[in-house]
Amino acid sequence: MAYEALDFYDIDSLLTDEERMVRDMVRDWVDEKILPNIEKACHDGVFPDEWRVDLGEMGILGAPLEGYGCPGLSYIAYGLICQELERGDSGVRSFASVQGSLAMYPIWNFGSEEQKNHYLPKMTTGEWIGCFGLTEPDYGSNPGDMITRAEDKGDHYLLNGAKMWITNGTIADLAVVWAKLDGVIRGFIVEKDDPGFTAPEMTGKHSLKASVTSELVFQDCKIPKDRMLPDAKGLEGPFSCLNNARYGISWGAVGAAQSCFSSAKEYALSRIQFDHPIASFQLVQNKLAWMLREITKAQLLAYHLGKKKDEGTWIPEHISLAKMNNVDIALDIARMARDIHGANGILDEYPVMRHMANLESVKTYEGTHDIHNLILGRYITGIQAFTRES
Amino acid sequence: MDWCFPPSVGLPKIHRGGFSRQSAGDDMGIAVLLKQVPDTTAKISISGDRVDETAVSKWSMSPYDEYALEAALQLKEAGGEDIIAITCGPARAMKMLTDAAAVGADNLILIQDDGVTDSTHIQSLLAAAVKRSGADVVLCGKQAADTNGGSTGPGVSHLIGAACVGMISEVSAEGDGFIALRASPTGNERVEVSRPCLFTFDKGATELRRPNVRGIMMAKKKQIETVTPDDLGVTIGTSSVSLQSHSPPPVKPPGQKFEGADSVPEVVAKLRDEANVI
Amino acid sequence: MDVTIIAETTVDGLHPVTSQLVGAAIAIGGTPTVLCPGGIGTTAAASISGVSKVIGVKGDCFNTFDSGAWAAALNPLVSDGVIIAASAPSGREVAAQIAAMRGIPIIQDATGLEAGITVTRGIYSGKAIETSTVTAPCAITLRANAFDAAGEGGSAEVSTVNQSADVAVAVREAIAKASERLDVAEANIIISGGRGMGDPANFSHLNEIADMIGAAVGASRAAVDTWDEIPHGMQVGQTGKTVTPSLYIAVGISGAIQHLAGMRTSKYIVAINKDPDAPIFGVADYGIVATWEAALPALKEELGKL
Repeated sequence: MAYEALDFYDIDSLLTDEERMVRDMVRDWVDEKILPNIEKACHDGVFPDEWRVDLGEMGILGAPLEGYGCPGLSYIAYGLICQELERGDSGVRSFASVQGSLAMYPIWNFGSEEQKNHYLPKMTTGEWIGCFGLTEPDYGSNPGDMITRAEDKGDHYLLNGAKMWITNGTIADLAVVWAKLDGVIRGFIVEKDDPGFTAPEMTGKHSLKASVTSELVFQDCKIPKDRMLPDAKGLEGPFSCLNNARYGISWGAVGAAQSCFSSAKEYALSRIQFDHPIASFQLVQNKLAWMLREITKAQLLAYHLGKKKDEGTWIPEHISLAKMNNVDIALDIARMARDIHGANGILDEYPVMRHMANLESVKTYEGTHDIHNLILGRYITGIQAFTRES
Repeated sequence: MDWCFPPSVGLPKIHRGGFSRQSAGDDMGIAVLLKQVPDTTAKISISGDRVDETAVSKWSMSPYDEYALEAALQLKEAGGEDIIAITCGPARAMKMLTDAAAVGADNLILIQDDGVTDSTHIQSLLAAAVKRSGADVVLCGKQAADTNGGSTGPGVSHLIGAACVGMISEVSAEGDGFIALRASPTGNERVEVSRPCLFTFDKGATELRRPNVRGIMMAKKKQIETVTPDDLGVTIGTSSVSLQSHSPPPVKPPGQKFEGADSVPEVVAKLRDEANVI
Repeated sequence: MDVTIIAETTVDGLHPVTSQLVGAAIAIGGTPTVLCPGGIGTTAAASISGVSKVIGVKGDCFNTFDSGAWAAALNPLVSDGVIIAASAPSGREVAAQIAAMRGIPIIQDATGLEAGITVTRGIYSGKAIETSTVTAPCAITLRANAFDAAGEGGSAEVSTVNQSADVAVAVREAIAKASERLDVAEANIIISGGRGMGDPANFSHLNEIADMIGAAVGASRAAVDTWDEIPHGMQVGQTGKTVTPSLYIAVGISGAIQHLAGMRTSKYIVAINKDPDAPIFGVADYGIVATWEAALPALKEELGKL
């Protein structure tokens, strides 16, 4: 059965031909390469290198960035790419989000010309993998108080500290690491062979199992002077990257929800109980209708946000709303879909429980659900409620 | 110089005329005949007594044509000739041509056929477009997924005076001509043929490649040339074929259950006579 | 009404489908002349009841299949009425070439023919039926086994004509059919085994039947998971391949919802299972409650007779 993505209010009609072609290209790739292999990848806990190669060849890494060999696509197209990748698996979309929005973007936005010319062309082809080092073991929602520090040693910087929960870390060729230099957060490009740098993989995950999650450990890590991003100072730096990634996630969550809805609908139509398909029972229809409602709202949110991104009329709070809402409903839809699948829903025959487990991470990373709520609360009231301090 | 065959000995022979061809070695171009059809997974619904095309949820390039296009792209990569993608169809078929451009087709031609369905008319239009393009090698699918006809390839080959090699899965250039792998009653056979020639594709050795973003961006800029029968110098007359109706396939009888292996002969007979599947 | 029939031939002689072409021609009031490419099968053709004339067309061109050359050689002998050929690889191509030479329309793969001439055929891979009328001169190819064969006992006059044409295709190398099995995703007929087969070695019975009818061999997830010998590529189902063959034969497969998801839309489903309550019988068009040990040998025997 060919995949039909729920599009009740016909977002498709709002897309340009190019956006549709890009979406269809990724959709076909997910059908061909991800769906037949994702369960095994999750089971084995690996991100197959072949996928990196394919993503690079398709030319979608760093989708909205212009110049330096980058695709220069609209933000709507970037959103559609994330939607289709996450319809496959959140771990696959995480790879692309980190590569494009968290590793390429800071170099593109804050780097020197030399840095951009050196790193971006090879990152957009997927030849070099990047990762983003912000979160620490003791500093997640509160990155501002991070303790990873850089010292200026004259002819090099010395980095000390550790980062945690870093997607792509162990397989990355370079890491964009945020550390305090004289108390001010700066961005540094650390390459995998820099002395004093290791990136062990974190194991034992029940979520995003086909994604590589790592620690980044810096023990007197020496990096050359030309590795600091000249234009990033303070939290502005990492937050601007996160905004881009969060935007992609708001579309990605729609993809995961669409996948769960599709599976639930097909299952409900084929599963016979008491001589009738369960799709004929009122309680099941109620659930499917609720899913349709939330997916449609989420799509409109993502699409309109994409337009604002392309027009430059967005603020970070717009992104917080979409990320928070869309991931929240996607997780609920995944759970509800599992319920509709009955016992079959726990098997890897169906994608629903995998999406469900993945979305727990997606709800937490890139700003937890609660943090985004507080971002909106501050926007509404003008009063920050993140900390007890004034 | 007119293309002509080596004479066969002692028997009255039929010469087959062809259009004149420039000297060997000129890059003439590779024509690919494409047809946009309802996606093979799409539901076909019938309204009144006609298939309701407006209800088709997805249109795609006919699957065998995809193999032909992929083979053409490989020939282009090996020999550098431009690919001319030609289709007869309505405006919505432009999307298919753009998709072909996204993977590497160079020139795109849409023939406005006003819904003509007579095989002779379609073949005349396509043959005229091929001649106009100057291409001396043509690739197409063995049959379209909607009509399941299979006449277009051989018919066009006659009209353009080209050799026809049907049901192939692979083709490669050799010297001025080609080597193709085609089905034979006993298996497969490798055949050689010179230009001008036309190949119809069965399932190919390679699936049609995916586009990439660069291809999609370049395809956006490609102009589609729209031509009418007049532009091609073809007059569409009346047809002696008249469509009477479309109807849904016969409803299957309800499932039948049989006890024991002794029922096997009865079931096999039903498969042959009732179901017509063996 | 003059009907020219292009006989379907093989290296062994006249193909039996030719009898069906004659039967169909007579049923619509035609007077059939049978042309035998290469002069093959003229005697057999002449003995088909209702044939008025048989012409063996002999020429060097018939040693190699080149539809353009064959059509050029046959065309002078074709009358101005209706041309009928078999909807088989060579028949379809040759008939299409002749039609183009004569500027007449051609309708391929008809499954129904009535005087008038009304032609019925499947379109959209059988999802709809098209009924059209056409008048002579025209060409029509007929699907095998869709028409009743004419009887025997005919005694048509046979003549031979020498007619050849230049052949543009040269065979460089014949390659015997590879022993590799058809892929389930492409096959028109699939026979699948489940855990009920008991042992992967027993799939050999399925392979034998598959070879007899040109089918692919598939498997349920249970079989693939249990036995290393049954590769994932054969799996049909939710996490395997989704298939839509004309005929799906499920042997020793219970019919769990995950398997059904992969084959439910097959045109015809046959189930062989010793458990009369197996869910597969809910979707089977023809369900046989029997052990595979008993049913498969019987199936092999019956198919051998066809």
